[in-house]
Amino acid sequence: MLQRKPDSGLGNIRSSPGDPSRNIDWILLVVQMLLTIAGCFVVFSATRTEPNIDPYTYVTRQVIFAIAAVVLMFIVMSIDYEWLKERSRLLFTLTVGALLALLVLAQAGVGGGVITDIAFSVGPINLQPAEFAKFAVLLVLAGYIADEGLSEISYPRFVGALMIVGIPAVLVIAQPDLGTASVIISSVMGVLLVAGAKLRYILIVSALSLFTLLTALASGLVNSYQLLRFRVLFDQDNPELGDAALQVRNAIRAVGTGGVFGKGWLQGDLTNGGDIPVAWADFPFAAVGEQFGLIGCGVLLFMFAVALFRVWRIAHLSRDLLGTYICAGVFTMMLWQLFQNVGMTLGILPVTGLPMPFISYGGSGLFTYFAMMGLVQSVHMRRMR
Amino acid sequence: MWFGQTGQMASDKRAARLGVLAAVAVLLFGALGVRLWFLQTVEATDLQDSVEVERTKTVRLVPERGRIFDADGRILADNERILTVGIDWEVMRDKNDRSQLFKRLSGWIDTPVAEMERRYNANLYSPYLPMPVKEDIDEPTASALMERSEDFPGVQVELGWRRAYPYAPLASPVIGYLGLIPEEQADEYVRRGYVLSEQVGSDGIELSMEDTLHGKWGEKVVRVNAAGQILEEISRREAINGQDIQLSIDLDVQQYAEQILQTQLKLRRTFTAKNPIVTKEEKGGIKERIDPSSPPEVNYKAPAGSVIVTNQKNGQISAMATYPTFDHRWFNSGISGDKFAELFPGEDSEGFDPDKATLLNRAVQGQYNLGSSFKPFTAYAALHSGFMEPGSFYEDQGTYKMRSIDPAECRSGRVRCEFRNSNCGDSNLPCVYGSVNVQTALAVSSDTFFYRIGEELFLRRENLLRDEVKRWGFGQETGVDLPYEFDGRVPDDQLKRDLIASEALDPDTDVDRLLAGDNVQTAIGQGLLAASPLQVAQAYAALGNRGAINTPRVVRAIYKPGVPNGTPGYVDLSKAKLVQSFLKGGVSSQVPIDGDALQAIVSGLRQNITGPGVTLPDGGVRSTTAEELFEIGYPEQAIPIAGKTGTAQGSKSLPWNDSSAFAAFSLDDTRPYTVVAYLEKAGFGSQGAAPVVKCMYLALSGLIQTRPVELADPLDLDSTEVAADVPAADTKCLESSNFDPNPAD
Repeated sequence: MLQRKPDSGLGNIRSSPGDPSRNIDWILLVVQMLLTIAGCFVVFSATRTEPNIDPYTYVTRQVIFAIAAVVLMFIVMSIDYEWLKERSRLLFTLTVGALLALLVLAQAGVGGGVITDIAFSVGPINLQPAEFAKFAVLLVLAGYIADEGLSEISYPRFVGALMIVGIPAVLVIAQPDLGTASVIISSVMGVLLVAGAKLRYILIVSALSLFTLLTALASGLVNSYQLLRFRVLFDQDNPELGDAALQVRNAIRAVGTGGVFGKGWLQGDLTNGGDIPVAWADFPFAAVGEQFGLIGCGVLLFMFAVALFRVWRIAHLSRDLLGTYICAGVFTMMLWQLFQNVGMTLGILPVTGLPMPFISYGGSGLFTYFAMMGLVQSVHMRRMR
Repeated sequence: MWFGQTGQMASDKRAARLGVLAAVAVLLFGALGVRLWFLQTVEATDLQDSVEVERTKTVRLVPERGRIFDADGRILADNERILTVGIDWEVMRDKNDRSQLFKRLSGWIDTPVAEMERRYNANLYSPYLPMPVKEDIDEPTASALMERSEDFPGVQVELGWRRAYPYAPLASPVIGYLGLIPEEQADEYVRRGYVLSEQVGSDGIELSMEDTLHGKWGEKVVRVNAAGQILEEISRREAINGQDIQLSIDLDVQQYAEQILQTQLKLRRTFTAKNPIVTKEEKGGIKERIDPSSPPEVNYKAPAGSVIVTNQKNGQISAMATYPTFDHRWFNSGISGDKFAELFPGEDSEGFDPDKATLLNRAVQGQYNLGSSFKPFTAYAALHSGFMEPGSFYEDQGTYKMRSIDPAECRSGRVRCEFRNSNCGDSNLPCVYGSVNVQTALAVSSDTFFYRIGEELFLRRENLLRDEVKRWGFGQETGVDLPYEFDGRVPDDQLKRDLIASEALDPDTDVDRLLAGDNVQTAIGQGLLAASPLQVAQAYAALGNRGAINTPRVVRAIYKPGVPNGTPGYVDLSKAKLVQSFLKGGVSSQVPIDGDALQAIVSGLRQNITGPGVTLPDGGVRSTTAEELFEIGYPEQAIPIAGKTGTAQGSKSLPWNDSSAFAAFSLDDTRPYTVVAYLEKAGFGSQGAAPVVKCMYLALSGLIQTRPVELADPLDLDSTEVAADVPAADTKCLESSNFDPNPAD
């Protein structure tokens, strides 16, 4: 379906408005691809000097992930989001089931290497139900609210929406994976906002999130390591905080010492030398900042801004509420994750381990975002119908 | 544009809500942008500096200390590889982490937490090396610690070196030992590239050859990540190992010297000296024992002594024994401070007896009167200055009256004008030797002959005697390659001034310039004259070397690092690569002496060994001081020697405080050994020291079966002995069947 380029002939006349394959948002697609390619370079630069492995190990895997993610995206694009919405409840149920099963099995200590706290490991593949949850929750929530068809969400629908979101959110927090939970909640916020939720509804969601977080802290679900990362935010120079603080300090140094023009490709001593643990997943922005400086960071953020703008634009263009809500959810999710990741790299947010969309190393993140983009493209492609 | 296409939006409100979303996005991007701008422009320069430190780590590479061998290649000082537990400074910065780590580690390495804290606070250990918390752990503990590296972050097990002395305690004071860098020299050592926590030579060859033995630290700079893992090596400068040193010490000779010295000292303690009845003028002429508080017979204390065997052709020292001695393994045995203080009491500790000081190498540090063993050099002064000819005779009448002092002064009693020979036999009368020349005066050890030289030379020129004897090395350092050498004393104005200033001499009764009386005393090796046994050895060696003075040396050769091992306990010297050899010796000066003068002196010293004595005017024969000792049990095939006894008067001139000296040199150029023995408070020279020297020569001649040298047993840490006694030597050579010591020394 991509064999033909969209017509660029006489005045951009859409010769066949009903044909979705002619309505792909090419700007979004290209920007997204550029980001992913940039991500592969960043991953290479940050993993090249890892001891005891081939310097191309990580980047090779990342390229394979990206190719698979592209395939996934085209599959999602080719499916009408309306059709997906019809089956979202099944997807949602399966996801919650998987989250539940993972939690129970992990707690029971059954595992034998197959089950970890956050993933089912089958051979080389790590299935993380929490990643599916991002997708499923967004789809089912958007469908649930859109079905009401009102310009402002009603109170009963709001409560229903809370319950839909609450179950998987609590299960994810219980894993414990606060980062992913925050991503899910952020997308919910976006959907609710656009759906016309009153300010007090938003406050309720915020309060509930805060309450859940505090409960998680109090119950000891959140381990001391995560707490430490919160402390690091406010007390970076405290030597007691050890490696956690060092990671952030070095990330800040990496970005800072990059200056305006950066140190150059592979010339970043900190990020290229392995001074920032798992920089390829947690701190790719530090690698960009150190090697390419303010200019590189600006270009990267600009590309994200373009991508976000295109998603936002599609939310406007959507033929129906469902499409608008889906795009709003994807928009806030991406915005939040980007802000969170860059923010922690720059030392203005706590370290959560949320990967940077498209850039960070890791299959799960790529698959999730490419699926989301597929969804958004699907909305764009079918806006004329 | 696209706002115009919002026909499908439910209402304008939705557009407004999307606008809110966009505003939030712009806000967040703005925040990131501002922070980024600030970080990469304003803070960039500040951050630049601090980054450099953390990224690389300098690791110092330890050099292996040079080893020390004896003349046969026996390994006297070796290095053992040991495993040391150290902790990275990084992980100890936080007090809580540190104390927790110490607590966990304490049981594993059997080290109290307090000790680890002490080391942490000691400000002693290099920041470029992990702080050592336990030296010499066993392999299982090491591997257990490494397997649990997650429980012990920053804890490392490293290979290190520990000094070992396989033949201890033999030659301990010569070889020396290692110790911490003295605080007052810390800066100096650091300037020379040392690490403060290093062990450096603290005595003996270990100290004097420190620069040669130590080698140079290497250094590698590595890039580390935040977890402290080494990622890559940036630069590397290899450590340069210390050079190996071969000593001239022959452990066979050394062991025998230590044995015979110790055996003789213990034997001498069983002998007594008479507490004679004398007339005491100062008490109104009453007759009583010289020391009324002591019994009629007093045992010799014989607490200490030393023996030196040196090659008179090149100054190479074959043996240097001192007693009491110590086992140098104590210094790295890891014993407690209390135990150490018990073994090595300091000078200011209660009940400290200097006679029992163990850390003194008396051969080079001893400050002794020499007694008559100094006479050959007085004789030289008389001959060389032209005061007398080798054939000049002098009538020894048993006493010498100084001619330069006003008789009225003499009668007043304030100035001592009359000097006498020592008593003959049990009589209270001085021996009379009749007509003697240089040769016979030396043979029978006539004091009056030399008293006269002392006064006459003084009258010619005050410092004449001093200047003449200094040619033989007295009164100045020999330059031996051992530390803390005593430079000796030859009396002159300056010395007297110094001694009065330091109140070693009584400022009320003594005069701050050299007097004729001082010179008279000096002439027979008494009074203010002092020398180390090594100076005596150097001077006697020169007598045996036609006046050529060799600087005495313990180091025979220096080799490139890594001389390989040979048979157990030995290195394979055939594979050693020579850097420098001292075998040829170094003649530091030539004493101007003509053949006749040398002949007279050597003949006198030879006659002292072989006899005959002098025939007295009454027809009797007075034998020489060493003649009877060497008459028996010193066969023809033994090394022919010439030598001289000496008896140095000790405290209050009490007979049992006499110290015993004997020095001899070889007349056989193929076996050119000079041997000196000095035994403190052991009686006459002919009784204490001479038998030791005789035994040494018999051993050197291969006429005494000596024990084979064996590798030492491990040091017994429970022992309270500073050094285990060496097995007693056969005492046969010490005796002489009809040995009735000639009391006239």
